[in-house]
Amino acid sequence: MAEQEDDKWGVAHVHASFNNTVMTVTDLTGAETIAKSSGGTAVKQNRDEASPYAAMQMVESIADEIRAAGIEGLHVRVRGPGGNLQKSPGPGAQAAIRALAREDFEIGRIEDVTPIPHDGSRAPKGKGGF
Amino acid sequence: MRVAVTGTPGTGKTTATERLAERRDDVDVVHLNAVIESEGLYESVDEERDSVVADLDALAAWVDDYATDADVVVLDSHLAHHLDADRVAVLRCAPETLADRLRERGESDAKAAENAESEALDVVLSEAVETHGLDAVYEIETTQSSPDAVADALAGVVDGTREPTAGDVDYLDYL
Ligand SMILES: Nc1ncnc2c1ncn2[C@@H]1O[C@H](COP(=O)(O)OP(=O)(O)O)[C@@H](O)[C@H]1O
Ligand SMILES: [Mg+2]
Repeated sequence: MAEQEDDKWGVAHVHASFNNTVMTVTDLTGAETIAKSSGGTAVKQNRDEASPYAAMQMVESIADEIRAAGIEGLHVRVRGPGGNLQKSPGPGAQAAIRALAREDFEIGRIEDVTPIPHDGSRAPKGKGGF
Repeated sequence: MRVAVTGTPGTGKTTATERLAERRDDVDVVHLNAVIESEGLYESVDEERDSVVADLDALAAWVDDYATDADVVVLDSHLAHHLDADRVAVLRCAPETLADRLRERGESDAKAAENAESEALDVVLSEAVETHGLDAVYEIETTQSSPDAVADALAGVVDGTREPTAGDVDYLDYL
């Protein structure tokens, strides 16, 4: 039973940079890559508008591949603030999660694993990182 | 005028701002990482990262109190974009090169790796734009530049001969 349960779950790793959102889907261990998006590039002039659309297209391009691997549910690990820190995680990552749900994947744990620049000091949480 | 020089650790801020200070009497460079340490401007310690968690309010207050006759105060730190500034220069460096520089400087692999990943994901640039807006941010790609060339670029920011830019680099391939 437990094994069957594990089999249908994967991890969506969302990398949200300033201009770009890239997603890789792996098995639960992270060792096996099931699908890799080519990345949705936001239009620079209108980053906030463009990035959710780009994220949606990115998910559409790999949804069938993920389903074909027997994956029904996805935990989400978000890395990177994206171009706009007003929301946490950034708009590209949020749009990607919504798009996954729209493709009928069950969404499990959503974790923010954004790296923190540090050099003997670092910013408090909420001021860099989340 | 106040100019923040920020960027992921290893991008060359301290080296370039030292060069700038050597050439310009009208520019006062303050290395904030040293100030945080010497003045104890932190609220806690991140043991995992062997780093203190800076007290940004105390740091901002310290900078406001800092008296100087210079026309331009340049703030060197990967935290400088969290403070008030008229212009924000963001130094950029290809993540592989940045990790090499940090390891050569004697930093741990873990520290080199997390900073390189931060650089690949534009973490500091995104924060700088979020806090200061596209009109105040000057992104400077330095991977192939000498420290003197980077100091030239910083002089361009200080003198207003450079246009604001953001998002011109793409280091995502690193991941
Ligand atoms: N333009 C450059 N080209 C090559 N190496 C550099 C350059 N600038 C700095 N370095 C080296 O990279 C390391 C990090 O530089 P540093 O100025 O301390 O960066 P930061 O203050 O941004 O952390 C140092 O070992 C330094 O000698
Ligand atoms: Mg430094």
